[in-house]
Amino acid sequence: MPLNAAARGLELLFGLSFLLQTLEHLRMDRAMAPGGLWPWHLQRRDVPNRYVRALLDQIFAPQVLHAQLLLRVVAVVVLVVQGSSLALVLFLFISQVLMLLRWRGAFNGGSDFMTLIVLTGMLIAQCMAQAGDPELGWRAGLWYISLQTVTSYFMSGWVKLLQPQWRNGEALVVFLNGAIYGPLPARHLLSRPLLARAAAWAFIVWECSFPLVFVGPLTALFFCATAVVFHFLVFWFFGLNRFFWAWLATFPAILGCASQGLL
Amino acid sequence: MDGMAQWLFLAYFVLMLATLVWKTPVISGPWLFLLRAFFPNWKFFHAVGYAPRLYARTVAHVPGAQRVWGSWTLIYPRRTRHWWHLFHNPDTNLGLAQQNLVHHLGTDINALPDGGDPGSLVTYGMVCNLVAHSMQAQFPGCSHFQFELRMELEATQHTVDAQTMLTSPVLPCP
Repeated sequence: MPLNAAARGLELLFGLSFLLQTLEHLRMDRAMAPGGLWPWHLQRRDVPNRYVRALLDQIFAPQVLHAQLLLRVVAVVVLVVQGSSLALVLFLFISQVLMLLRWRGAFNGGSDFMTLIVLTGMLIAQCMAQAGDPELGWRAGLWYISLQTVTSYFMSGWVKLLQPQWRNGEALVVFLNGAIYGPLPARHLLSRPLLARAAAWAFIVWECSFPLVFVGPLTALFFCATAVVFHFLVFWFFGLNRFFWAWLATFPAILGCASQGLL
Repeated sequence: MDGMAQWLFLAYFVLMLATLVWKTPVISGPWLFLLRAFFPNWKFFHAVGYAPRLYARTVAHVPGAQRVWGSWTLIYPRRTRHWWHLFHNPDTNLGLAQQNLVHHLGTDINALPDGGDPGSLVTYGMVCNLVAHSMQAQFPGCSHFQFELRMELEATQHTVDAQTMLTSPVLPCP
């Protein structure tokens, strides 16, 4: 995949992912309101500096927050239609950091982290473009995103491999039973210990071997295609729809970098 | 790419592996916690162990009578799956965020010094608010509620062990 196609693919998929996240935040207005489940007045003591706290009081006032989210929708549409610019990416980056602060550092864990990584990669690309070398900028940005994405699978796989309960399949069943759409029905295939063990090992081996994605474009295509299935299953069982889109947005970067060759 | 890039690539992943087995002191602080998205560790669903679970009970308002408590109810997000949740899933994500909050309360209580007051924790106040909302929705006529944070160890079929970490005072329903 040529570099410019990878960059454009990233902008489009990231735009979709960020738009879906923003629309969900807009639907949570009631939860974030003063009488809601997640009111700022209870959470603000988390912020250790009183000047920053006073500033955030203004930024997280319900109407200001709502306006910021609406502006985010507009910015994402511009990103999808026109492509990125330094001002646009900087706004999205700051907006994302503010939303993270509003949710005590993370709303949805890993998907927030991956969203920030893509924005950081795009910011690297735009800063270097301003310095006069847009191609080098995108190359650096896409490599940053690819390496972080591959690291996410690699670390997630190896940390499981080190746990005996993952190796014997028990952990998979325990986590599925505790999932938001769970527990597993008694007659579910994964309730059989042998199948649970086989599934756990399939995930572990696949995640641990993810750095092989850089062997070449075909290998990258295989890993990205299986990752789509993997993230769909994670959504199906755990309800983590944001993970699906956040990781999908990084695949053009992986495909672009794998096409440049490394291994 | 030249051979140097390949060696750097290999060294990077070896270093990543080393961080899994090489234990280093944990650096913590309020700003690091709030900005932890800049330092992702990517350890998803990594270990089965004691997990915090929130239980609550209410008492119905009966004028002139003694308090009669209802049974303890688990407050845990369960949702019905729909295919379109792939595109729009705010309620489920809010439920997941609430469960994360319960985990953070467990961590914060563990980090308290001996004799520390859990009531001073931000997470305690937020969990009180969460339980109050939940009790109001489930038991509209309740006058008071109380909650417990229990650490439960799950096996594939059932709960193996449970220990109460915190019992709140009796609180008025909103």
